[in-house]
Amino acid sequence: MATPAGGYGALTPPSPRGVRAAVGKTLRGGVSLAAALLLTGYVVGVVTEPGVFGSHAVEQAHLAARARFPHSLAAMWDGIGHGSGEAIIVAGILVLILTPVAGLTTSAVAFARRRDWLFTVVSAAVLSVILGSFALGWLSS
Amino acid sequence: MIELSLLLFGISIVAGALGSLLGLGGGFVIVPVLTLVFHLDIRLAIGTSIVAVAATSSAGAARNVTESITNLRVATFLALATTVGALTGALLVGVFDARLLFTLFGTVLAVSAAQMLRKRPLRAMQESTPAMETVGVTAGREGGAGRLADRLALHSSYFDAAEGLHVPYVVANTGLGLGLMYLAGTLSGLLGIGSGVLKVPAMDLAMHIPMKVSTATSNLLIGLTAAASAVVYFARGDIDPLIAGPVAIGILLGATQGSRWLVRIRSDRLRVLFVSVLVVVAAQMILKGIG
Repeated sequence: MATPAGGYGALTPPSPRGVRAAVGKTLRGGVSLAAALLLTGYVVGVVTEPGVFGSHAVEQAHLAARARFPHSLAAMWDGIGHGSGEAIIVAGILVLILTPVAGLTTSAVAFARRRDWLFTVVSAAVLSVILGSFALGWLSS
Repeated sequence: MIELSLLLFGISIVAGALGSLLGLGGGFVIVPVLTLVFHLDIRLAIGTSIVAVAATSSAGAARNVTESITNLRVATFLALATTVGALTGALLVGVFDARLLFTLFGTVLAVSAAQMLRKRPLRAMQESTPAMETVGVTAGREGGAGRLADRLALHSSYFDAAEGLHVPYVVANTGLGLGLMYLAGTLSGLLGIGSGVLKVPAMDLAMHIPMKVSTATSNLLIGLTAAASAVVYFARGDIDPLIAGPVAIGILLGATQGSRWLVRIRSDRLRVLFVSVLVVVAAQMILKGIG
């Protein structure tokens, strides 16, 4: 295999600056949105449901016994509609979980724009494995 | 709940800082604290730790990917193996004896820790750079997979602010690395833990990637692997917002700080810190396996 253009002496950054900047921007956006939702949910929770968020006498028993909290998209949207702090926190957590996937999507698009087809395909393949896991997870629960 | 939340929040800042600095998910702090100190159900503890991994990864990588410490191409390529591995692991849950796996995992980590301490320091790597062209070609011929790294253009460089050096590096044994990542993904899917502890040694020892780049790249990888399984945990009701919420906020703060430290820390110190944590995690795993 021939030495890449420019040789190893001129090793380039792992990816063009534009790709890295785009991915970084997406990750920062996801993190900021998640942080805003998590904090808002907390404030709303402490104000509207001090029994759940404020009391500390019950905390140990409460933690052990707690089983009912939103864990589906429908329950989350319903809760947000009713101004539930807990549901807003759930939204923040979901944004956090999806942020790396959004970063990967951004890099796939950025690689495609630069006509780096090999890495467009690799990114898309990883993305489809993750989306496949989502589907499997959702179906199996 | 407020006092409890504040305590969780504080511990999570520490977990996030260590996690993003070392390319780990922080589960090695979060899970024992939640189960041993708060007596929380292991199911909810693992669900929370998955959220912690996603938070550590995103907040840590947000900075380091732009600064080019993270090798985006290596991360994307290896993610093929870790995500398929995680899926395999999730499907194989219950097939193997978990205690045997924990013991095996712990032993592998202990051996990796010993190997990593013997690795040459950054300075030696820098001194060898004039011969980098030869090294690259030789790695390609001898490692067999170096040529794969050529074709994928995985070789790169980063600026080490602690040493004031521009550090070029050649990625070796890409095929072996891919295989190890598949195993690492499978094990973490099977056991619900250990997202980064095998990835960093695989990049450092097998693929000859500099320590800082290994932890930063692992940091990006673990978020993708976690996302694949997090949805399962969420739908199953293993993610309690009142526990995962304060943990996530603390992790975000800690991980952001940790990614700043990663820029400045000396690689040899980073290595010693990583190996120390590796020893602790190995002990946790072996204890789980035998006891």
